[in-house]
Amino acid sequence: MLVKRLLILAPLVLSVVLLQSYLWVPTYDTQAVGNPNRLQTYIEGSIGDAKILNPILNADGSSAQIVALTFDGLLDFDENLNLRPRLATDWKITEEAYLLVHPSKRFPDGTTVSGQTLETRIRRALDGGPLADLSDLVQSVKLLPASLREERLSVRVKPADGPPSVIEVPVTIRIPERIAMTLQKVDQDLFTKLEPVVGKQYAEDFPYARFITIEGNQPDEVLEGLRTRFSDLLPVEEHNPTILFHLRQGVLFHDGHEFDAGDVKFTYEAIMNPKNLSPRTSDFEPVKHVEILDRFTLRVVYKRLFSPAINAWGMGMLPEHLLNAEALRRETETRGLSEEAARAFGMRDSRFNRNPVGTGPFRFVEWQTDEFIHLVRNDVYWDGPPEYHHYYMRIIPDLLTQEVEFLAGAVDFYGAQPHQVARYRKDQTYQSFSTLARAYTYIGYNIRRPLFADARVRRALGMAVNVDEFIEYILYGQGERTTGPYPKNTEWYDHSVLPLPYDPDGALRILRDLGWERNSNGWLEKDGKIFEFNLITNSGNPLRKNIMTIAQNAWKKIGIKCNTQYFEWAVFLQDFVNTGQFDALVLGWSMGIDPDLFQIWHSSESGPQKLNFAGYKNPEADRLIVRIRREYDHDRQREYAHQLHQIIAEDQPYTFLYAPLSTAVLDKKIVMVARSEEGEEQYQKIQPTKSGNLFFYFNRWRKLELTPQF
Amino acid sequence: MGSFITRQVLQRLVLLILISIVAHTFIHLAPGEPSEVDPANPRMKPEDIAKIRAAFHLDDPLYMQYAYWMRDLFTGELKSFKDSQPVLPKIWRRFLNSLPLFICATLIIWTLSFPVGVQASIHRNSWYDRSSTFVAYALISVPGFFLSYIMILWVVETFQVPVIGMRTFGTEEAHSAFRWMDRLWHLVIPSLMSAVGGIAILSRYVRSQMLEVINQDYVRTARAKGLEEDTVIYRHALRNALLPFVTMLGFLLPALIGGSVIFEQIFAWPGLGRLGYEAILARDFPVILTLNFMAAVLTLAGRLVSEILYAVVDPRIRLQ
Repeated sequence: MLVKRLLILAPLVLSVVLLQSYLWVPTYDTQAVGNPNRLQTYIEGSIGDAKILNPILNADGSSAQIVALTFDGLLDFDENLNLRPRLATDWKITEEAYLLVHPSKRFPDGTTVSGQTLETRIRRALDGGPLADLSDLVQSVKLLPASLREERLSVRVKPADGPPSVIEVPVTIRIPERIAMTLQKVDQDLFTKLEPVVGKQYAEDFPYARFITIEGNQPDEVLEGLRTRFSDLLPVEEHNPTILFHLRQGVLFHDGHEFDAGDVKFTYEAIMNPKNLSPRTSDFEPVKHVEILDRFTLRVVYKRLFSPAINAWGMGMLPEHLLNAEALRRETETRGLSEEAARAFGMRDSRFNRNPVGTGPFRFVEWQTDEFIHLVRNDVYWDGPPEYHHYYMRIIPDLLTQEVEFLAGAVDFYGAQPHQVARYRKDQTYQSFSTLARAYTYIGYNIRRPLFADARVRRALGMAVNVDEFIEYILYGQGERTTGPYPKNTEWYDHSVLPLPYDPDGALRILRDLGWERNSNGWLEKDGKIFEFNLITNSGNPLRKNIMTIAQNAWKKIGIKCNTQYFEWAVFLQDFVNTGQFDALVLGWSMGIDPDLFQIWHSSESGPQKLNFAGYKNPEADRLIVRIRREYDHDRQREYAHQLHQIIAEDQPYTFLYAPLSTAVLDKKIVMVARSEEGEEQYQKIQPTKSGNLFFYFNRWRKLELTPQF
Repeated sequence: MGSFITRQVLQRLVLLILISIVAHTFIHLAPGEPSEVDPANPRMKPEDIAKIRAAFHLDDPLYMQYAYWMRDLFTGELKSFKDSQPVLPKIWRRFLNSLPLFICATLIIWTLSFPVGVQASIHRNSWYDRSSTFVAYALISVPGFFLSYIMILWVVETFQVPVIGMRTFGTEEAHSAFRWMDRLWHLVIPSLMSAVGGIAILSRYVRSQMLEVINQDYVRTARAKGLEEDTVIYRHALRNALLPFVTMLGFLLPALIGGSVIFEQIFAWPGLGRLGYEAILARDFPVILTLNFMAAVLTLAGRLVSEILYAVVDPRIRLQ
């Protein structure tokens, strides 16, 4: 019977065809046999796919990782987090300072201020006068004639009916005579130091209305808004920090084109081009202009003091010849876009973002969305080609299957969780690492709520939870206590600040002093209300969920009623964090390398949609935060940062919990290759840098055929 | 027949427009914003976000956003929020990845279910019937992802071969025969796992259909004629039992899009299901809406195909 035979044979044949394929697949140990290149291939497992491989447009971790391998910045951070040269060979930071001639001011001796007198008096004071100790700093003093500047300012208007919109207002600025000074280095206190000559409060009461004209007939609302910006448009005292970059010569993009100052200027302009919607705009907003001095030298002048700005030059440099207006126009033609689409076409739409061309150690080859990104090494990399020939980023969206692939040898590295790393500690095949991440987890309080307004209450809440318990049971020991707003492995962190002790009785004593007494049900009560609040976090993060549970339990022990809830990330942000409608929350910050904490801790950033959602306000902290971002001297920045750390630790706006350790597992066969001058290879064990970066020497990594002994 | 099809197609077109409007409204009303305008990014200033929102038309009234979407979809210039790539080619590439998984899983389901079900129905209440019923219900009840994890761990621990993804990485220089077989191997486990539930359900259907048919008069007549048991079962009974399954072929179509999110996620398979899932997480409206639209098209088309197929295989049914 044909049908019967078919019914039996079909599944049999199908099974045999499918299952025999197993015999062809290499096992962990035989992978390198048929593929000697497997040893020169590095495969990394990543949870999420990249989005856009363009250094000025990407905003996610996976894209950033690929971009870091395919592009170079002008500079980056070395193993001790100091700046080191990359595409720039060196740089020098100086300052140009401007002081307007204030028409309605008098010198301390009563003489009216004029351009001529101001210049002579400053010169004389520097030359053996009261400012003699500034004579090294100030290299030149010059009087500039009055001039005219026209600008178009964008103003947001909110009509009573209809959505808010942005309009452009033309403005004419008559710049009066001013003194220009060239400084050998940046000094944020320069104008204070000039007080002996110009007198105190020189900058005040400047008659802006005489110098700034708003063109056209503008509604009152607009005029009002613009008036508040006058002091930014025409600052009486202006600092213009300046960086002079010397660029490396002979560096080639992956397509063979030589890198030069034009590419740097182009990259800057591309970021500032509003059409490109670059998420890096705010990093470069303080730049006044970029000037090419010659093919390999360029000067960047800033509008104001903003020391973190230099770090932004670590961003990858784009090849101008592939992305300028002409290149984009050609692309719209080859793609045959409609006229409207061609007009809207910008860098964001370019194919470049999926086929990046940079100067980095690896060259882009292929990207299969949600599957893999393949790079090969750049044989002519200016800093010496990497040891690995191929780099794959595989997208495996599930942590457990990532580990399975790692076990099967089809992934060399994945972001192993603490409990996963614990499995490999004793295995002779693998080496494991724990390094401090630049991040911390905290319980943040809404200080606007009367319940949390008192720093002593927040301190008591912090003392009632045992942070060591979190580290032991939630992180499997993969974390360290932290006491303040800076990452522990930067020098901004003040190690002399001690963590809060775990002392529930002490916490109770503090609360009792504040009038909280236990009622008959065991809850703390004051003025007829029990101590009760909601602790929230986002769903999808088991660590935070566990923190909530442990904290809830710890507080319950001293009579505090804490209700916990979690919400989907978007809802969590939109309905609670951004609006400030929460009591307390569990969250973490991932930190940068610079000491600027303006957005998280400055009182001006505590409005809706801002990052100081705890509502922290401390005038002394505000002063330090501003001083830090205006300071260019590393040692002084560190001093201020330590003071800031102490103040915030004292105020306890957050209960700072822990800084997680990043954990990693690698096959022991992966080593660091060093070459002696005769070209002989030596192998070293992979070590993370002091700042916790395991991949700092990635270009020297390679896999060996046999496990080496160290 | 011709007029029937025309009428049906027109009706379905109206329905499709309604579906797309409802879906568009729902997706825009759901909480959360596209990740590109996520205000949690400390590097983004409100002005930048406002600019991006404007470029995505997010602040326009809903009906305008719908119009923009439809216009871009049909001119082929619809772009994803996430990476500004055209949506249709993106979906097409993912479709090609999902296709082998879908074909393989479907083959496994349809070739395995029939022998299992027929056998169970012939030997009703036997040891085989009871145990296959038990296994089928067990497989239906155990969540697919759990079973997959167990399977993956077992295969990797025992055989030490990779099973995740579409192929083994780092074996690019191997002979092409090895690479093809490697790809086939990577199909086996995910398609088997996504077929398990299907086999369990379909084999139950086959069993009950067969049982129903076996008790019919014409089967008794066939036996009374003195036909061989095999002929009775496989020609007279099975053929009639097949009728409802023909229509099920039509329902397979929409499964092309949504059927395998979980398995694609676990096995890191870069297919359509994952595209949709990632798009939902990133609130990538153009991709979500287009996938939803295509799913609607396929569902409606699938049902039409079923109805037509039914008329084709069963002469008793006339479409009017």
